[in-house]
Amino acid sequence: MKKYWLLMIFILFLTGCYDRIELEQQAYVIIIGVDKTDREGIYEYTFQIANPEVGTSANGGSSEPATEIVSVEGGDILSATNTANAFVAKRMTLDHTKAIVASEELARSDDFMRVIQVATRSPQLRRTIQLIVSKERASEFVNNFEPLIEKRPHKFYQFLLQSGQEIGFVPDATLHRFFQITEGDADLFLGIYTTTILEEVKKNHDGVEDDYIAGEVPQQGGTSTQFMGSAVFKEGKMIDTLTGEETRITYMLDPTVDMENIMATIKDPLDPNFLISYQYRQKKKPKISVDYHPDKPTKINVDVYFVLEVVAIPSLIPYPSDTEKAEKLQQAVIDTLTEKTDELIKKSQTEYESDPFYWSLYVRSAFKDIPEYEKADWHKKIYPNAEIDVHFHVQALEFGKTIKDFDLRNVRD
Amino acid sequence: MQNNGFLKTREIFAIALIFVSLKATDSTPTLIAQKTQNATWMVPIISFLLILPSFLLMIYLLKKYNDKNLVELFEAVTGKWIGKLLGLVIFLFCMSALMFESRNYIDQIKVLYFHNSPMEIMFFLFIGVVFFGAKKGIEVIGFTAWISFPIIQFTAILVIVLISGEVIIQRAFPIFGSGLEQVLTQGYSKAAIFGELFVLLIAYNATKESRMFRKGLLLAAFVGLIEIVVFYFVYITVFDYNSIQKAAFPFHDITQFISFGNFFTNIETVFMIFWLFAAFLKFIILIYFTAWIFGTIFNLKSFEPILLPISLLTILGGILPFNSGLTELVYHERLLAWLSLFFIAFPIVLWLIAWKKGELKA
Repeated sequence: MKKYWLLMIFILFLTGCYDRIELEQQAYVIIIGVDKTDREGIYEYTFQIANPEVGTSANGGSSEPATEIVSVEGGDILSATNTANAFVAKRMTLDHTKAIVASEELARSDDFMRVIQVATRSPQLRRTIQLIVSKERASEFVNNFEPLIEKRPHKFYQFLLQSGQEIGFVPDATLHRFFQITEGDADLFLGIYTTTILEEVKKNHDGVEDDYIAGEVPQQGGTSTQFMGSAVFKEGKMIDTLTGEETRITYMLDPTVDMENIMATIKDPLDPNFLISYQYRQKKKPKISVDYHPDKPTKINVDVYFVLEVVAIPSLIPYPSDTEKAEKLQQAVIDTLTEKTDELIKKSQTEYESDPFYWSLYVRSAFKDIPEYEKADWHKKIYPNAEIDVHFHVQALEFGKTIKDFDLRNVRD
Repeated sequence: MQNNGFLKTREIFAIALIFVSLKATDSTPTLIAQKTQNATWMVPIISFLLILPSFLLMIYLLKKYNDKNLVELFEAVTGKWIGKLLGLVIFLFCMSALMFESRNYIDQIKVLYFHNSPMEIMFFLFIGVVFFGAKKGIEVIGFTAWISFPIIQFTAILVIVLISGEVIIQRAFPIFGSGLEQVLTQGYSKAAIFGELFVLLIAYNATKESRMFRKGLLLAAFVGLIEIVVFYFVYITVFDYNSIQKAAFPFHDITQFISFGNFFTNIETVFMIFWLFAAFLKFIILIYFTAWIFGTIFNLKSFEPILLPISLLTILGGILPFNSGLTELVYHERLLAWLSLFFIAFPIVLWLIAWKKGELKA
């Protein structure tokens, strides 16, 4: 009798094998590209699959390439993975997908929401997936992937996006945020803007390092994949692009996103021939207070606190030791920031009629329930007419690890 | 019944806490969010406040009628047949909770972790484990609940800590969600989510002293409420009011979302293990207490043999409805609404009868 029991127990354990799939049987899709086709409801999906063997020490000698790229047509992402299995030997798995890349053409069309909605239904596609819009066709973007040093695609994209987000060139564009903002029916969502097609250097550019969108950054060498700036989505549809600089401003004003150091330059206030580089750091989240009035313009007051660390003063003017000059510099930074912020806010109020800063959150407490809040209409009524004041406050002014720059006159004596 | 007076406050506390607070991780929040949107976190508070007086009244009655458990109390107060009938209602509540909720848990496991495994097999496995657990008797259950208490609570806190970066407090506003009226009616009609507390009263005499039982149960009720409210609050502040209505399994959506730094991503399986462990315990407790209630109603000397038929009935009932979303949204919703009134009203009626009969004077 005991023997039979033992047998029964083994059968019990074997049921765990229903969903058994070995690591080597799975193809991990890292990037999914989505393009429009001529037919309605059918899209072209491009999957970039990582080769997990590459980059591991255990199998160092493998001569297989780091990545395989396939394109198929299909109605939605999941069925397309099935179709792709007709010629991909391993089973396609989306558990480790890092990003969905949509072509700008698709993002600007009404179909975009249809394509993306599948992501909420399947547990495979995670909410941490980044949403990327490529200027060219997504299949072209994915196929142009040719990294030189970091050949593993999952690491390549992870590192490139991460560094871009830390310095603020590209927005934090998780699917989670996309759904929150789009379903919330207020505010603008910012997707990551990218391209692999590099353009001629933008004319009449004032030399500031971040006033670009993807494709415009003048570069020599390296890969042609550029992440820069953001694609503006309103109600699930792309309407415009923001430059890297404008994207940074949205980071400064939006308390729901985290920002590390931002490196930026301004013209030297005392010697306009030179630039001054500084690090901008927010220790404190910006303070936003919304004063809602049903019949007159709503007042939005934003206080941004930051630490200003000057890192390079090519003009060699002794700002650190001269309080008066330091104050001038501080004021110059504040003025520049305020000017650029006001420009962006004005653009968003008139052109977009909504904000990329997720400020609708702060008007909510003025209402007692959702029907009332939805009736007040952030998109159409509240934001476009609001009076917005943004104040930048310098919490501390630092000059790095040098107290004094060398005196050019003494050096060239 | 293996009962040597081993159970103390802490075991009862652990049993009741796992039993109640697991509600935070199933589809109940989504069910409530359909009507109340981002005020979902208030609903359990209102439900609790509504049901607390009745519950305290019940405990008071049990204290007055020494040495009786829930069903025996019914019989003592209302007479044999009406008492048995009331007991039967509680039994049916347990049975339906077993069927609906086990189906819900199986769905969660299937959709999120085992796509290819047939549901029937998973049902048999799940309830099979639960059956063998329940067979061990109340003292083993109590002890298991107590030793697993720290690790389960620890993982729950870890989830909250890891997700806290995504919490945006402002999403709790507008404070009354879809309207104060909605919140209040939902609070009333979902009061039955705390109805499971009444089920636990069947074990009134299982502890060394009944004082320990009362203490453990009440403490667990309050801690459980706090846990439920914290989790619901996290759900609405992470998902916002439109998305929470769509997420069928918000707990798992959250565990899929979090990561431990950049290197440890996709860590949901860690949480799934402890969640599954808690789920096993919950169903062990539920199935054991259901059998206990049944045994008391029909004056069975030993009720443990009927654990098997109850387990099989659970599987049969759980497999029946084809569309899980429908089960959850339609049947369970209606059931909760009907039972809420019952749980709020019957202790008051019982108390009135006992008071009229003059049995409360001593």
